[in-house]
Amino acid sequence: MTEVHLHNNECFEKVFLNEPVDLQITQEAGSRVKIHLINVQWDIVQCTKEVVNRITIEQVGEGCETEIYALAYLRGEEKVTTETHVNHAVGGGKSNQLIKFVLDDDARGRFIGDLKIAPDAQQVEANQTNRNLLLNETAEMRTQPQLEIYADDVKASHGASTGQLDESALFYMQQRGIGKQKARQLLIGAFMKEVIETISNQYSAIRDEITQYIESES
Amino acid sequence: MYKGESMKELLRIKDLHASIGGKEILKGVNLVVNEGEVHAIMGPNGAGKSTLSAVLTGNPAYEVTAGEVWLKGENLLAMEPETRARAGVFLSFQYPVEIPGVSMTNFMRTALNEKRAYEGKEPLSAKEFLLKVKEKRQLLELPDKLNNRSVNEGFSGGEKKKNEIFQMAMLEPCLAILDETDSGLDIDALRIVAEGVNRLKTPQNASIVITHYQRLLDYIVPDFVHVLADGQIVKTGDKSLALELEEKGYEGIEN
Repeated sequence: MTEVHLHNNECFEKVFLNEPVDLQITQEAGSRVKIHLINVQWDIVQCTKEVVNRITIEQVGEGCETEIYALAYLRGEEKVTTETHVNHAVGGGKSNQLIKFVLDDDARGRFIGDLKIAPDAQQVEANQTNRNLLLNETAEMRTQPQLEIYADDVKASHGASTGQLDESALFYMQQRGIGKQKARQLLIGAFMKEVIETISNQYSAIRDEITQYIESES
Repeated sequence: MYKGESMKELLRIKDLHASIGGKEILKGVNLVVNEGEVHAIMGPNGAGKSTLSAVLTGNPAYEVTAGEVWLKGENLLAMEPETRARAGVFLSFQYPVEIPGVSMTNFMRTALNEKRAYEGKEPLSAKEFLLKVKEKRQLLELPDKLNNRSVNEGFSGGEKKKNEIFQMAMLEPCLAILDETDSGLDIDALRIVAEGVNRLKTPQNASIVITHYQRLLDYIVPDFVHVLADGQIVKTGDKSLALELEEKGYEGIEN
């Protein structure tokens, strides 16, 4: 596990591409965190065992911001678990999480999302969104959001959904002459793009690399 | 089988039966559409009008249980939906689908180039594509901003229908099926859409206009009007049949 301690107003931003992450970050007042976990290209050897990503955030100072974006595109028998533990110990903080899985073949995905807002942590804005796309009947997704909200003056929202490619959108594209495979590719790419687009310009090289990979593989 | 039977024949539907979820909707439709013709198909709700457009375009939700459909002598029912589209069958959807995350430009360019590949043509360059977009957009009085948006996402009802006809203008189909294109349109949008359709008419292409109301046919004047009731074409006439329907209602015609 890697521990990071952010002092007042410090920033931590990182894109983790295809590497398991175990990270604990303590945030003092006004500090900002932006993390991307992108799992789109596991090595054949790695994919036999389960990969676990764990991010733990402790907001201990006021006015902190945390953004966590995760995307896993899994095929074959790949397994990825992504855990996020976000604790708003004090008020005035913000957290936003967007977690997406695309699962094909016999892939297994799991999201554990732990969100806590302490009793005195007023005026917190917290969002946790988990969207998953199953491309195959044998793929499987487990979602375990856990929200513990003890303060009353907060804005907290969460949503989790797992679905398949939109058949009516596929047919619409086919009706315009776009082949079914290409149409699937466009829809999968669109689904993943929402996460990729949040990568900052300072990581544009890695962002373009991921975009290209997705366009060639999906 | 019908190849060469008539130089002008575009579409032949022969005793077409189709069902959805085990329920038979089309119960023996027969129709021949020649090049240059406009056919209107009218009928009450539930008669099978939308089912006919779905079956002709290969919507997988419907099952063809009997009959044949030939497009320029080719077996249309044996083709994948995308092949039918590339061969020139276009459907203006009653409810155009929103596709978040796929830009209108990317979608249109992919569609056009797939059709061109099917015809053995080179893909359009970015410049040629944009020129074509500009030209066709003017036809429909479509605002520029729509091209940067996701397909149909956040479009108004009128914009969606105009966008359908814009796509038709881009793809230049030989057979356009307009499924309730008039529904949800105010009179100005209706006029623009209808003028767009009329300007796209050539001696080589044809359209099937599916509508519940006579109103659209004031603008797109049909050569033939067919009444579809309970899965069959029960009456065929010229444009005066549409007026008669308006007056007497469907029950008056059937009896």
